[in-house]
Formats: sequence, structure tokens, C-alpha cells
Amino acid sequence: MASVEEKVKEITSKVTKVPVEKIELENAFAADLGADSVQSVELVAMFEDAFGITLDEDEALNVDTVGGAIEYITKVCAEQDVKTE
Amino acid sequence: MTHPLIERTEPNLLEDTFEYSLPPRILFDGPLVEYIEGKPVQFEPKEARSRDLVISDTTFRDGQQARPPYTVDQMVRIYDLMSKLGGPSGIIRQTEFFLYTKNDRETLDRCRSLDRPYPECTGWIRAVKGDFRLVKEAGLKETGMLTSCSDYHIFNKLKFSSRKECMDAYCDVVAAAFEAGVRPRCHLEDITRADIDGFVLPFADRLMEMSAGVSEELSVKLRLCDTMGFGLCYPGVRLPRSIPKLVYKLNRECGVPSDRLEWHGHNDFHKVHANGLAAWLYGCNAVNTTLFGFGERTGNPPLEAALIEYIALMGDTRGIETRVITELAEYMRSIGLPIPGNYPFVGKAFNTTRAGIHAGGLRQDERIYNIFDTEKLLGRPPRVAITDKSGVDGVAIWVNELFGLTGNDRIKKTRIHALARWVMDQYEVEGRLTAISDEELEEKARELLKDLWAKYKGNA
Repeated sequence: MASVEEKVKEITSKVTKVPVEKIELENAFAADLGADSVQSVELVAMFEDAFGITLDEDEALNVDTVGGAIEYITKVCAEQDVKTE
Repeated sequence: MTHPLIERTEPNLLEDTFEYSLPPRILFDGPLVEYIEGKPVQFEPKEARSRDLVISDTTFRDGQQARPPYTVDQMVRIYDLMSKLGGPSGIIRQTEFFLYTKNDRETLDRCRSLDRPYPECTGWIRAVKGDFRLVKEAGLKETGMLTSCSDYHIFNKLKFSSRKECMDAYCDVVAAAFEAGVRPRCHLEDITRADIDGFVLPFADRLMEMSAGVSEELSVKLRLCDTMGFGLCYPGVRLPRSIPKLVYKLNRECGVPSDRLEWHGHNDFHKVHANGLAAWLYGCNAVNTTLFGFGERTGNPPLEAALIEYIALMGDTRGIETRVITELAEYMRSIGLPIPGNYPFVGKAFNTTRAGIHAGGLRQDERIYNIFDTEKLLGRPPRVAITDKSGVDGVAIWVNELFGLTGNDRIKKTRIHALARWVMDQYEVEGRLTAISDEELEEKARELLKDLWAKYKGNA
């Protein structure tokens, strides 16, 4: 089972077209990885599907880095009783 | 002088002016001041509000001069809607009709047979004695008549040999009106290009003298016709272009009461609407208008805008049925009147936002990018049009409108991203340069948002 970090990076790569090995935890989705407004929403939607969780839209769209997303998703998974590695 | 920050943690939305359920209030800090012959003269907005301010209409006269003739049925329908729009206290007080053709007279008869108290029907004739026969036969109490007052008209058009000859001729027609028991409304054509001291004021004096000899109901009304749109509403302007001074001179120097003064403007310099409001504030009770501003050349003050201005000035609707503005616009479009998309209050896109950042604001609180509660007052909720600038917020608003969802029922942006992606790809990948029509987007929504479509639209 892939870790939260692996899944987040994989989805981020798929949406932004940045190779997964180049994605760093401190990368900002918009400023460093070039995510536009549609891609930001796509990322949130794909995180929800991949982890089986429901995210607060405004809260999720305010997370601006890859590391922040991992932290936020881990917290929501715990709150919603969804297992992660 | 310094300006310290007034800290707040809650917004101050200035709701005494911007009460969303009404057009924004027109509030004044004090009197308007105009210098007349070097001395300051005050005009109290409170006094203006206390007068019987009204709107008169010339859609069937000046309005019709700018287009092919309406049919009788069309005019009767417009009259009926106009009556509903103005409400029971007759904010739209009068409308005028030509009397020259069989159709003109049939229209007048059919409008009057509707038995609406307002707008009252009046006539419009040339300043020719014989034309009063038409007014009398039609049984009208009041008629407008052309009494052009600039030398451009007196000498160059009407070919009078002197101003005296001209004034005598006009006064003969006024006397004929009195004799016929018809109230004359003298249309001072081209007043903003006339010699005010040399002709207009002496003529007004003479009309006041003549009126003193007849009953109040017959006394002469004066319509100040800014025929070429030269009138200016701001203070300090020299005559004859100054609206404050023109109204002041007729009202306070010649003694023509406000309820016998009317302003008629033209839009040649884009000032037509503001000039009408100025005339109200400085002493005219009536502003003459046409529906959607349609009139000779560049048009007249738009009737619907004058109504909105009236509500803004008075602070309540006073029985005006504002939603009929939309009904009238739909009717006028259906009979071929072109109304530009960006035309205020009724254009297809008057409250449609295209920019994504604006759509984002609209999503959070429609007041941010809507002028007033356009759904309540005009039956037109704010909308977004979809282009490359719309962003996900714009697409989300569009989808929620499509499914009729509001408040907490609104669909989140994360559920419509596929449609937002298609929109962006249209521009970024396909190189599209035009807006996306509602029909086109609906077709895509049906394809890309299948679950939502099934839930909210079923098989539609």
C-alpha cells in the first residue's frame, strides 16, 4: 500500500505534468508546480477519490504546498477513520 | 490633515446608501449651490423630494421618430405595460400621441378605452391654429406644440422676419388653444442654443400673463427641449447650456411653477440621463423620457433609468412595478427593437460577469458584483458568462444556476472540475476566441456531469 506522500506526489505529478521524482515537499502547487485554478480543484477532487475522504473545499484549496497537503490529508484521514500507512 | 484608520473587525457595508433591496440611495450633504448673476442661490434636494416629481413619456412621438412606425396593437400593448409599470400614483404621469393619421387616432382611442388613470394621454401638434381641431376632436385636455426658440429655428428654419413676429404667431396659437379649452404645452425647442434673455424669458413672461387670464387647468406648461443635447448639468456653466440657470430663470424669475415645467433631453453628448435628474433637482417636476431611450438621433432620457433614479432619490418604490421593465424589454425585443447586451437594467448581459475573480466574489456574496437585488427588482439574478477568464468559480456559478441550486445546496467546485477543464482546454488547447454559449455548455454538462445531471435534471 502506497504511503500518503507517495500518493500525493503521484496525483500531483499526474495533474501538473511535473515528473514525480522532481516534486519536493516544500514545492508550492501554484508557484513551483504551475497549477492553475482548475488544476487546484482537480487536485482536491483526486485526493478525495484516492483516499476515500471528504475535504472541506475552502480549507483544502488554502493548502499551498505538497508537504502541507500530506499533513492535511493525514489529519483528515485520521478524523474520518480512514487507514493510511 | 491626517486620516487615522478606523479599525473594525466586521464590515461596514454602508447600507444606509447601499440597501441592497433598492437602487442605491442618492443622499446629499446639503443644498446644491449655483451662482446666478454672481450671487449664490441654493437649491434644496429636500424641497425637490417634496415636489410631485413625475416622468412623462414620448415613446410614441419622439421615440417613434427614430424607427419604423409601431402598429396600433403594439402601441396599445406598450401603453398597457407602461401603465402597470408606473403604478397607481402615476409616476409615469403622461404620454403623448401624434394626431395626424387614422392610425394615430385609433391608437389613442384604444389606449383610452383601457381606462387606465395613468399615463394620461396628451397630443402633439404643430403650432398651427388649425391643428387644434384635431385635439378637440380627439377630446384631449392637453397638447404639446412646437414653439422653437433659438434663432436657428426662428430665422433659419421657420423664416420669421423678426423675433416679435415669431412670438406673436406663437401667442396666437396659445390663444387659440385657450379658446378651444385645451391646455397648451409649449415645447421650447432648441432652448440650449437660444438667446435666453432676448427671447425665451420675454416669451415665458408673455405666456404667464396670458395664463393669468385663464383657469389653472388651462394655464400654459413649458417643456424645455434640449433638442441637440447641448445642456449641461454641472454648476457654473454659462447660459444657454446651463440646466440649473435655465430652470431657475423660468421657475423663479418668470414664476412658472415647477408643476408646469418639464425637461426634454437628447443624448448627443451622453448626458441625457444625468441632465434629466438635474432638471428635477433644480425645479422641473417632469422629466420627459422614452422607453429604453429610443428617440430622434441619439435618443432621449431612458424612461426605465428615470424610474430607477426616482426610487434612488425618494428611497422607496412608491408603487412602481420595477419588474415590468424586464417585461417591456422582452416585448420590445420581440417586435424588433434592438437592445444592446450591455444596456443598463435590461441588456442581456447587464449583470453578467465574465472575469473569474469577479465570479469568485459573486459566489461568496452576490452584492459584491451586483448593483442591487436585480432578481427582486427586475427578475434578473446576476449571471456569469463563460470564457477563459471565468475560472472554476465562474463555471461553478453557471452550473448551480443551471440546476437552480442556492445556499447550502450549491454544488462544490470539486464536483464540476471536469467541465471547468473542458472550458479551459477550449481556449488553451483548441485556441478558441469566443465566449461559450449556454447551449454549448449545457450539452457538455450533460456529458461530463452525468450524475449531477441525472439528479437535478432527470431525463431533461
